[in-house]
Amino acid sequence: MKVVLENVTKIFPPRNKREKEFMAVNDFTFTVPDGKLIGLLGPSGCGKSTTLYMISGLQKVSGGKIYFGDNDVTNLPAESRGVGLVFQNYALYPHLTVKQNILFPLQNLKGSEKLSKKEMLERAYQAAKLVQLEELMERKPNALSGGQQQRVAIARALVKMPGVLLLDEPLSNLDARLRLQTREEIRRIQKETGITTIFVTHDQEEAMSISDMIVVMRDGVIQQVGKPQDVYDNPTNLFVAKFLGTPPINVFNGEVKGGKLYIGEECVLEVAGVADQPVTVGIRPEGFIPAEDGAMTCNLTNLEIMGRDASVVATHPASCNPTIRSIIDGDCKIDTASATVRYNLKPHKVFLFSKENEKRIEVAAQNNDDFLTAALKLKYSKS
Amino acid sequence: MVGSKKPWKAWLYLSPAIVLLLIFTVWPIINTVRMAFLEGYNALAVAGGKKFEFGFANFVNVIEYRDFVTCLKNTVLLCVLTVPISTFLALVISVCLNAIKPFRRMLQTIFFLPYVTNSIAIGMVFAAMFNMVGRNIGGKNELILTAGIINNVIEFFGGQAINWINKGSSEVANMTVMVIYIVWNALPFKILVLLGGLQSVNKQYYDAAKVDGTSRLRTFTRITVPLLSPMITYVVITGFIGGFKEYSSIVGIFGEKMGPTSNPYRLDTMVGFIYRDLANQQGRASAAALILFGIIFVVTMLNLYISKKNTHY
Amino acid sequence: MTDQKNFAVFEADIQKAQARQRVVRIAVQVFLYLFLIIMALIVIFPFYFMLISSVKDLAEYRLPVQTLWPNKIILHNYIEAFHTANLGTLFSNTLYVGIVSTILSLIITVITAFVFARLEFKGKNAMFAALLATMMIPGELFTITNYQTISNFLGLRTLGRELGSKDLIALGDWKNTFTVLIVPFLVSVFYIYLLRQNFLQIPNELYLAAKVDGTSDIKYLWKVMIPLALPTLISITILKMMGAWNSYMWPRLVANDEAHRLITNGLRTAFTSVEGDVNIPVQMAAVAIVSAPLFLVFVFLRKYIMKGVSRSGIKG
Repeated sequence: MKVVLENVTKIFPPRNKREKEFMAVNDFTFTVPDGKLIGLLGPSGCGKSTTLYMISGLQKVSGGKIYFGDNDVTNLPAESRGVGLVFQNYALYPHLTVKQNILFPLQNLKGSEKLSKKEMLERAYQAAKLVQLEELMERKPNALSGGQQQRVAIARALVKMPGVLLLDEPLSNLDARLRLQTREEIRRIQKETGITTIFVTHDQEEAMSISDMIVVMRDGVIQQVGKPQDVYDNPTNLFVAKFLGTPPINVFNGEVKGGKLYIGEECVLEVAGVADQPVTVGIRPEGFIPAEDGAMTCNLTNLEIMGRDASVVATHPASCNPTIRSIIDGDCKIDTASATVRYNLKPHKVFLFSKENEKRIEVAAQNNDDFLTAALKLKYSKS
Repeated sequence: MVGSKKPWKAWLYLSPAIVLLLIFTVWPIINTVRMAFLEGYNALAVAGGKKFEFGFANFVNVIEYRDFVTCLKNTVLLCVLTVPISTFLALVISVCLNAIKPFRRMLQTIFFLPYVTNSIAIGMVFAAMFNMVGRNIGGKNELILTAGIINNVIEFFGGQAINWINKGSSEVANMTVMVIYIVWNALPFKILVLLGGLQSVNKQYYDAAKVDGTSRLRTFTRITVPLLSPMITYVVITGFIGGFKEYSSIVGIFGEKMGPTSNPYRLDTMVGFIYRDLANQQGRASAAALILFGIIFVVTMLNLYISKKNTHY
Repeated sequence: MTDQKNFAVFEADIQKAQARQRVVRIAVQVFLYLFLIIMALIVIFPFYFMLISSVKDLAEYRLPVQTLWPNKIILHNYIEAFHTANLGTLFSNTLYVGIVSTILSLIITVITAFVFARLEFKGKNAMFAALLATMMIPGELFTITNYQTISNFLGLRTLGRELGSKDLIALGDWKNTFTVLIVPFLVSVFYIYLLRQNFLQIPNELYLAAKVDGTSDIKYLWKVMIPLALPTLISITILKMMGAWNSYMWPRLVANDEAHRLITNGLRTAFTSVEGDVNIPVQMAAVAIVSAPLFLVFVFLRKYIMKGVSRSGIKG
């Protein structure tokens, strides 16, 4: 079932007289295609959980429409929407066993939907099998690990065969090792069931790794929607560029003059078709190529070798951050005794943003350009 | 924890508490047990140099004593009536309080009010509310001036005035008044504990139940009550302990005679029994106190056992 | 076409369901408030009855149907009540006993709780467990022996009689003194437990740091732990004062003379009769006077009382 949000808005009334009303979600429009796994991504307080709760029906919308398939469910209460919701802290009933927890939603069914005891058990075991919990059915939640509790919560959400599965920060309560394992688990379960799944996270790595599509949010406003790799390769604004990627993107103050990009005094890249203006330059850590005669000179601070790759920590007077970090091939030789390091830049890893509104400034044909030719061109134009 | 280099210091600090506890807590436990098992023990006779034999005569004496049966019956009856009623009412009120927003604090404060009262003093108020003013009430030449505000209310709804506590009143009427008063007195503590419990229940359980389409009733019976069960157990146990020690609320309403003037000691309780024997029949009083302790202990353990069986988290 | 139609039906269904839900929600809220308000009225009615009755004159109180608001407000009942029950003496006795026993009890509780929370010595845990176990025993069990103890403290009265020493007799017989109302209840295991739990929440590092700086135990207790545990101490103070105010049985038993009588006992003794044709307005005035301080404490210190009472929930 596809989920459509149309101009959805959520305004929280002021809590007291001094406060102003708070717009948590602002004019939110997007479509979740049927059977896909979508990540709502953003820093805390950006309205992503509110969006999820509005989809679940636990919170009312202040404006706009929500459709499940072709049905308008905007004003439908949570219980009639048929969604499965997994809470951040799982909300497993502590007094019930795993089995009873999974059975709970089925026992609520009334009228024509009512199931026999046998059917309920069958469904419960089916759900348990899906999340690989069959052996733990008689345990109480307190006797389970965090990862197992998470799986019970998912089984409980899936057992009623919801049209949409919603997960609120599904991995945030797990330790790092379990997190990797569980996120693959979620991906597997979603693939097997084919249920349209929406999950909320503030961890970009988590969202990038398993989503079919991510929605980046900030202050209640959608910043960008797309496939994870597309969003990473083509951020629409500075916020998205900064939010995605570890280590984060390096940001510099720069200027475009006569089709050339200057950072500090140095011309680092050719940017055809861009009007002369001061710009903010974002360079992905993997966008640097160390070269003795590189276009950009940085002050070398430190070299961290991490097996296959090496991470170079450096500073630059025009950098907006205290340090700049680049990831280079471990085979590249860097003279650690030297005070400076010089780089050429991969053009498709360099993004220009307007100083005025932080929006991306498109550089013509940048992405198709072979970076080596670009670097060569640059070399000649300089001399 | 820090290991002090001077352990005597700890004992020095503890000494006032230890001395007082030895005199007023430890010794009484030993002595009460001792007196209970010395047949017919009384302090006056001890002063006279009498020696007592070890045995169970005091316990037999207590149980065979006619008043004791009355006391036990009253005590158990009050417990069995007031604890379920007050717990149920407190649970309903707490759940309602938890479900509203405006005026919640105000109502909460009102419901807590009876806690900060003196059970003797407010007992007198309850007595006045149920009291008939007049001459020879319950006897011949009856002349009722005012039947009391409660009877006024009953008459307002078309009922008959009832002799609640005056001379000639029935035992059922007396007990009813006691049950009303004790429940009124027990509500605030129970509401405080249960409401506190309700407010500490994670809201997400209710959200989860809502998404799953759980009805209000099922949410209450399958989620709220089980999650509250430790609190409910707690108020039931303390209710029973308090109920078995019931005394001053009866004195508040009926005075030291523990009953209407026509039937003194009709509402006497276990504690009342102990107090009456305390000054001159120490052996019997001690035996009664041990029996009381035994009952409280058994009831508490039973309660804990039952609630343990029902909640394992 | 059919799809369109189905959708319209669906839409109508939603609207109907919504309307029904709204009605149910409003009805439930109305019912909740109605129920709570009725219960609240029942709960406060006795107080209201006490107040209106206390300002009625006797003739009005005796009307066949009682008035819900006095026709004429008479404050004279209060003066009469004050004199009849000798409330002045009762007040000062109770205050004296309450204040002295609260102060002494606080000192002992703080020191004992400190030892159990912070110091380490052999048998500590066993001793604390034994202390907690005594909480299970009903107070009446202690009263029987304590009554004997205070009548003949450490056998001093018997000894005094044998030696013919009046001083010794007086030392041994605590009846009808303030001592007997204060001393037996100075140590409360429950308060010690409460405060110890509070002390335990204060990180031990603070104590270690103080030790390194050479701070003495007493100074540390005074400067660090007491300020941090102040809310609990206030709760204990209030509960202890309320205890003195409400205690009935023990004072009735051991200090029932005019000079040492406490307020609850005094009230009951002054108005022995509750049924029949007694002067209820004056009784109610007396009850109102006795209840007033409790209400004032409640109004101003509600937070601490509720906290203290609900925290006793840990006890189970």
